Order: sequence, then structure tokens, then C-alpha cells
Amino acid sequence: MPSTRTINIAGKKTQLTEGGSGPPLLYLHSAGGETEWMPFHEELSRSFTVLLPAHPGFADSKGLEEVRDVTDYAWHYVDMLAELKLKNVPVVGFSLGGWTGMELAILRPALVSKLVLVNSAGVRVAGSPMGELFIDDLAKLRALLFKDPNNPVIKLAMPMDLEDRRILQWLAAREATARVGWNPYLHNPRLAAHLHRIECPTKILWGRHDKLIPLPHGEFLASRIRGAQLEVFDGSAHMLPFEEPVKFATAVKEFLVSSS
Amino acid sequence: MKCFAFHLMPWDRLPADFGEKYESAWTWLPNSLYDPKHGHTLYNRFLDELCLADELGFDGVCVNEHHQNAYGTMPSPNLMGSILARQTKRCKIAVIGNALPLYNPPTRVAEEFAMIDVISGGRLIAGLVVGGGPEYYSFSMNPTHARAMYNEALDLVVRAWTEPGPFEHYGEYWKLKYVNPWPRPLQQPHPPIWIPGAGSKETIEFVAQRRYAYMGIPYFHVDFFQRNFDMFRDCCQKNGYECDPEQLGWLCPIYVAETDAQAWEEYEHHFMYFAQQLLKGLVVLPPGYTSARSLIGIHSAMKQFLINVKTRKEIEDGAYAIVGSPETVRDKLAHYAKRLGVGNLLGLFQIGTLPAELTKKNLTIFAQEVMPALQKLDTRIGVAV
Repeated sequence: MPSTRTINIAGKKTQLTEGGSGPPLLYLHSAGGETEWMPFHEELSRSFTVLLPAHPGFADSKGLEEVRDVTDYAWHYVDMLAELKLKNVPVVGFSLGGWTGMELAILRPALVSKLVLVNSAGVRVAGSPMGELFIDDLAKLRALLFKDPNNPVIKLAMPMDLEDRRILQWLAAREATARVGWNPYLHNPRLAAHLHRIECPTKILWGRHDKLIPLPHGEFLASRIRGAQLEVFDGSAHMLPFEEPVKFATAVKEFLVSSS
Repeated sequence: MKCFAFHLMPWDRLPADFGEKYESAWTWLPNSLYDPKHGHTLYNRFLDELCLADELGFDGVCVNEHHQNAYGTMPSPNLMGSILARQTKRCKIAVIGNALPLYNPPTRVAEEFAMIDVISGGRLIAGLVVGGGPEYYSFSMNPTHARAMYNEALDLVVRAWTEPGPFEHYGEYWKLKYVNPWPRPLQQPHPPIWIPGAGSKETIEFVAQRRYAYMGIPYFHVDFFQRNFDMFRDCCQKNGYECDPEQLGWLCPIYVAETDAQAWEEYEHHFMYFAQQLLKGLVVLPPGYTSARSLIGIHSAMKQFLINVKTRKEIEDGAYAIVGSPETVRDKLAHYAKRLGVGNLLGLFQIGTLPAELTKKNLTIFAQEVMPALQKLDTRIGVAV
């Protein structure tokens, strides 16, 4: 069973959930704030000790007022890995988390052994506009994020309406995402110029039908990060880990245990 | 009580299929729907209506700032304010307001407002506002910084008006080595400051604390205004003084005609165009613009918001608009103004598609047969009519 505790990271109270056994794996969550233990975390935890922190401003993690951009999030994980006395760990980052993972691997290459980017934000690709994430209408948001807007897993991923008990946490997650991703919209204009500094083996997973961050973003990252391999999933859109949890976890595990 | 004529300068020609085809009259409404030739006629007509209000003896006229929308085509109220500074002779010119975080640096607001004040001979009322939700999309301004930017900008503007320059300002959002605006305002120490609010407790407390004036943002049920204004009076008391009714304003759509029946006949479909088309998409709640708890609160207050109103009875029960003969309108406005304890009535006399002739008639009958009684009204709470 995963357990959740709160640790102090350079003055920021940070929620950290841990589960499973085996070598450590740092999972960096998306703007949706999947800080509860999800089926795909469970899949990964069969082979790894999954570390699932909540970014500042998400769930019970504090310190958002100190955060201006995703680089500040990456510095937060520099601090966290030091606090946990970890380095050279695999990092799996989904969307906002993938962006954070790239920035972390650029800032402190020694901390990241391998990088898995899943429908990752972080760059802007001309001719491939991103969707509008900051809309109030939850039905429209479901249609934006999922291949099938009636997929029952949506209930796990986001509130269904304003009466949902998770709505406050959801609004807080939106606020935190806006803090770092409103403008420039879901990307760091300087990141592309730094991608060649990512030294670790990198795998890029993408849902073919992603309307929030379309596939050309994945192709762009694969072309800029040395040796990166792109794997496209036909059964999903942006919410790949929710939509295809077993395939997702299998692809992550295969990449992380393979020799490089 | 003082009577103001508020103009939104709305777009009156949305396509017939707007309801089905477009999600919002804001931000994303394609500007190919804007026709500059018709705009030329409209702007000039709307300015004429405000000049007429001055001639008819209104205490003031009001303009406001919105961007990329059909609801109010006034991205720069200061341009309109400066025209009115020349073309009106005696009324106050209330710009409600400039959306401070959108000005870079915000000392631009101090300068432009000072210009209007000086040109008009000291008739400016300076509205300073955070800006509506849609503006944060239109300008790609980060809404999670909205309040902090607003607070810094407001302090800077007031300082720029009152403290001899040049001085330095090194804030969180703006770093200015020389703050030294020319001109300075004619009204000393500075023009009256009005701050519009939609009911957030933080704004009410802030305005009461500083002894500025709080303007109730429109289109809620009258009970919602009542709660907010009561809260404002309590806050004034907590700060050690009695609220002056002049510190409160109530914005209300008003239509007067010869009889009750005729007023509704002439007005109702124009009002519903406004409620159902122009308001569509007005309330978007960008993340972090206000606290998550307040966002939930505003969502629930939306049940008492004009966009959800369907019938004439609902309009009347909630005082979403005051419509009728001069006698009806006079009685109702006096009743509500007393009940709310507001010293400023901000009437919307033109709304959406309401044509020029009816707007002129509305303003004229109001000024001649309704306004004199209201201007004599003492709206302090507890003072009998």
C-alpha cells in the first residue's frame, strides 16, 4: 500500500506519496494533479519504488507564492532529491511533469539516470498550436483531453462537475498550472535551445490523438534530444497514462530496465 | 443621491445565429463580425447620448474598459473620457475604471487620468479595477498575479499623484527609476477613487479600509447587492467610521416610458438581447484570479445572475432592471436606493440593441420626471424618506 507523508523541502511543505518496491523512480505529475495513487502508479510500483511528490501548489504541497516558472519547479526537485539523498534516478514525467523533468535533467544531469516524457509540455512548435487548457467547462475539457470523452476512467482523472468533492483541489491545481504555464503558454521559450544538454537516455511516449499538445511536439522533442526514441499510442489522446495504463507502464518498464 | 448615466457602448449587430454558433461574446468572438463603418456611427451616437446626459442635468457620466468583446466596445475608456472632458460642460466623468495590471507601467494611468482631470477642470472620477476575467485571456496576463499586480499598481498611482517626483519605485512587478508624471491632477490631493467589485470579501475590506468608494458590479439579484453593501458598511465601522452613501454605487439598467405597459413593450426584447447574447461568456473564472473558495462562491452566486433570468417577473423580483412609467421607476429606484443605502445610482440607459431614439427618450423622461426626486433623496440607512 502506498503511504503519504509531508516533508520539508527548502522551506516548502511538500506532499510525497511512496509505494511499491525495487529501485526508486521519480514520477512527476501533470497539470491534472494526479497526486492520488492511480492504476498506472500501481503498475509501475510492481517493479519500482515509485516516488510521487505533489508540486508546490498541488494537493497539500505549499510554496506556490515562491514559484514563478517551471524552472522553479525543477529547482524544487533538485532540493528534494538532495533531501532524499538520491541521485541518478529514473524520472517519468507526464505533461507538466515531463516539462519539469526536462528542465531538471538540464539543470542537474547527474540526478537523472533516464527520462521518460509522456505527452510533455515545455516547447512551442510552430504550426502545431496547443489547445486551451484554462476553460471552465468540464465537458469541453474532457473532450479536449481524452480520446473518448465517455471513457469511465475520466472519473479518476478529474471532477465531473462543480459538486464533486475534489473541486477545490482541482481549482488549486489549475491555479498552480496557470502560475507556471499561463504565459508563455505551457512552454519555456528557452527550453528548445537547451535540449541538447539532456545527456541521459530519453524515451518519449505520446497519445496519437492528443489535442492539447499535438503529436508534432513529441516529434520535435525526439528530433532535438539526442538518441530519444518516440513511441506513439493509437488508443489515447493527452491522458495516455489513464487511457492505456498497462501499455504505458509496460513501455516505461521496458525502457527503464533495458541496458543503454 | 447622485445620478450617473453609464454607457457600455455595446455592439448591437450580432448575427442571427449567434446563439447557436458562438460560445461567447468575449475573447474568442471573431472580430470579422465587427463592422468599422457601423462602428463609426455607433461611437458617435453613444458619445452624443453621454453629452445629452450632461445637458439634461445628470451628475455624471460613466465609461469603462473591456477588450475583445461585443458587450462593451471600449478598450480605452480614457479616449472616451478625454472626448467627454471637452464635450461635456459640467458633469463628472467617471472612468470605471482602468484595469491596472494591463498598463505597463501603471504610471501611464496616473498620467492619463491627470490629463482628463486637468482638461475637464477637475471633473474626473478615477476608477481603478483589477480587470474582468476575460481580460486575462485577451491580454495573456497571468491571472495568478492579478491581485498582487493590482495592489502594487494602485499604490504606485496614488503615490505618483500625491508624492513629489521624481522618486524611485522598485516593486515586485515594476522597477522604475524615475516616477515623475506630468501633468499632475487638478483635484487635490487626487481625484476621487472608485473601485468596482463583484462581491469578493477581499475587495470590500480593502476599499473600506482606504475609504474609497465601492461600486456594485451589475446584473446580480438585488439581495446580492444588499449583502455586499451591508458587508461594506460593517467594514467601514470596523475601520472606525460610518460609511457615507457616496462611498457606494449601484449599477442598474433603467428604462422609462409613458406607461408601464409601453415601457416593457419597447424595452423587453432589447434587454433580453443584452442578457442572453452580450453577457454570454462574460463570467469566465481564470485560475488564481481569486481564491478557489471565492471561485466556488461566485459559481453559486451565478444562480442569482441576470444571464440565468428568463421572465419579466424574475427581472422585476430581482431588480435586474427597473422598467416602467416615470412614477413606477421613481418609486422603485427610491425604494431600492434607500434599502441599499447607496449614494450613487449608475443607470444603464442604453443597452445592447436599444435604438438611438428610444435611448434619447429614456434619458429625457428620466432626467425630467424621475431624477429630480432621486437627487433630493437622502439614502443614509435609517433616514426616513
